[in-house]
Amino acid sequence: MTDSLVPVLEAQEKMDTDKMWVIWGPQHPFSHGLWTLKLKIDGEFIVDADPIVGYLHRGWEKETENRDYARIIPMTDRLCYCASMTYSHLYCMTVEKALGIDIPEKAKYIRIVADEVCRIQSHLMWLAAVGTDLGNLTVFLWAMREREYFLDLNVKLCGARMTTNYPRIGGVRNDTTPLFDRDILRTVERFEKAMWDIIYLIDDSSVFVSRMKGISYMTREQCANLGLTGPAMRGCGVDFDIRRDDPYDNYDKVNFEVPVLNKEKKVGDTYDRYMIRIEEMFQSCDIIKQAVQKINAIGKNAPYRLKTPTKVPAGTTFGRLEDPRGESIMYLVSDGTDKPWRLKVRSPIFTNVSCSKAMCDGIRIADVPAVLAQIDMCLGETDR
Amino acid sequence: MAWTYLDKYPKNLAKSLWIMKPVITVTKLFFKTMVHRPVTVLYPYEKEWVPDNYRGRPGLDFDKCVGCGMCARMCVTQAIKLIEVDDDNGNKVMRPQVNIGRCAFCGYCAEYCPLDAMTVTPEYELAEYTRYDLLYGPRRLKYDKTTEGMKVKLEVTLPSDVANGNPERRVCIFDIDKPELNDAKCIGCKKCAKSCPVSAITMVEKGVNDKGKPIIRPEFDNSKCISCKNCVDDCPKDALQIKEVL
Repeated sequence: MTDSLVPVLEAQEKMDTDKMWVIWGPQHPFSHGLWTLKLKIDGEFIVDADPIVGYLHRGWEKETENRDYARIIPMTDRLCYCASMTYSHLYCMTVEKALGIDIPEKAKYIRIVADEVCRIQSHLMWLAAVGTDLGNLTVFLWAMREREYFLDLNVKLCGARMTTNYPRIGGVRNDTTPLFDRDILRTVERFEKAMWDIIYLIDDSSVFVSRMKGISYMTREQCANLGLTGPAMRGCGVDFDIRRDDPYDNYDKVNFEVPVLNKEKKVGDTYDRYMIRIEEMFQSCDIIKQAVQKINAIGKNAPYRLKTPTKVPAGTTFGRLEDPRGESIMYLVSDGTDKPWRLKVRSPIFTNVSCSKAMCDGIRIADVPAVLAQIDMCLGETDR
Repeated sequence: MAWTYLDKYPKNLAKSLWIMKPVITVTKLFFKTMVHRPVTVLYPYEKEWVPDNYRGRPGLDFDKCVGCGMCARMCVTQAIKLIEVDDDNGNKVMRPQVNIGRCAFCGYCAEYCPLDAMTVTPEYELAEYTRYDLLYGPRRLKYDKTTEGMKVKLEVTLPSDVANGNPERRVCIFDIDKPELNDAKCIGCKKCAKSCPVSAITMVEKGVNDKGKPIIRPEFDNSKCISCKNCVDDCPKDALQIKEVL
């Protein structure tokens, strides 16, 4: 009997135990947006990953070439609905650089306030997504509730919740509305207290911490080689923030700390990347408070919008700023007319998502949503 | 390091009361959330307050509008088209028609209206059953309760004013940017005078040329001109351009 089994066992040893490709997306509840993640799995473990983007490509960069400079600003809002303010800010900043003008002090501080409100609401949107990815619906609801207050601030400032269309070439669309400083300080103070409820829910619960801790380590060298930027990079121990290291628009006149974890320890897992974003929200609150004080000190009748020529002189310009998700870059090639010859956008997510292969290396399938939630996906700006 | 959150976390959960800590936290939060007001509103019956400058659908003051087409030119999605309608006296006039289905709610039409005829309105419930119903004609665009805040004004500070130590002066770009004629290029075709919506251009004879024919040149009445750039766009020889005051 044993003799008859020998050929069967031999065949079993030679049996094909190849790895299997599993495809997540493009329409999957876990993926935030339309993108595909191909995962090569060996049982429960992931050995290879391959992100595929491009389902949302709509020719954004080409379309800008047929519009005059002022009419591109509403389009920049549509790159990412969470970071609409920073993208319009970046575009206006780049064109101002090309024109060689210096915008009024008040406009700079208003832009800082608007940017930081945008950063907080973007991070809260991310926190809500993390909550649902880890199976905590309470975090989702509470984060969305807090986000509503910041969207209300957007409405008071510029009349729209998400597609703000607020910065203009040469300043901002309108002055701060009456009582805006009171409203924003109330909101920020309220948020600083209310945020702790959400933190207690996640950080004091060993369920969520143990799901995030110790998986998907990224080293500083990997971050540099793969082009990871933003809070995800700072969570891996790289101490770099454009707001501090290459300051734009009066960011050098406000005091804030760039959150980065202790470099001596081994950092760079999913939980570290989570913690950086939470701390960034508190730092943004500090920046808002200082900037509102500065706006009040400048006075009511100070200029907030300069008149700029419609035609931009020929040349190339490079602008960059710290987006909620990473480092956004716009590269403008102008040819002396009222339309750009080329406008290139460097989206932080496009490079961050290419790190998903390094992030997913060796983790289990069940951890994939927890790991990829830290990228804070936004496909509108990735595919453009 | 003045860190709010990173100073307290991460905590070593093994050293803390491992399972008791979450239980205490959840119990605390449970009692905290027992008593608070609802954060949502009963939507169709109650509505959120919106400020004056809230960007809902565009509104139009029919009598103020002159049909210059600045809104259609600035519209980012080409949702605005000028159509011919009868005004109160029975004359044919051009007025904007907005396709709400295309509208991006950016507020540019209100901002760039030289006469503040186009406004933003707080109306946001715009669902219709057919696509045709989404077309808002000039009469339908009317909004009764227009306030001053809805007329978004494009007020800028001139860089020259800032340099001269007068930074508090605000000007509207439609008051200062006026068309300018390049006399050598002009052929006197009168197209600019025909396209002007406020009849600010009159054609006048300025002597005769070598062949004995009259030289006709446009003359601008800057008090009437609203800087709508229609004459600049219609000029076949590019003889006109807006002179930007900076």
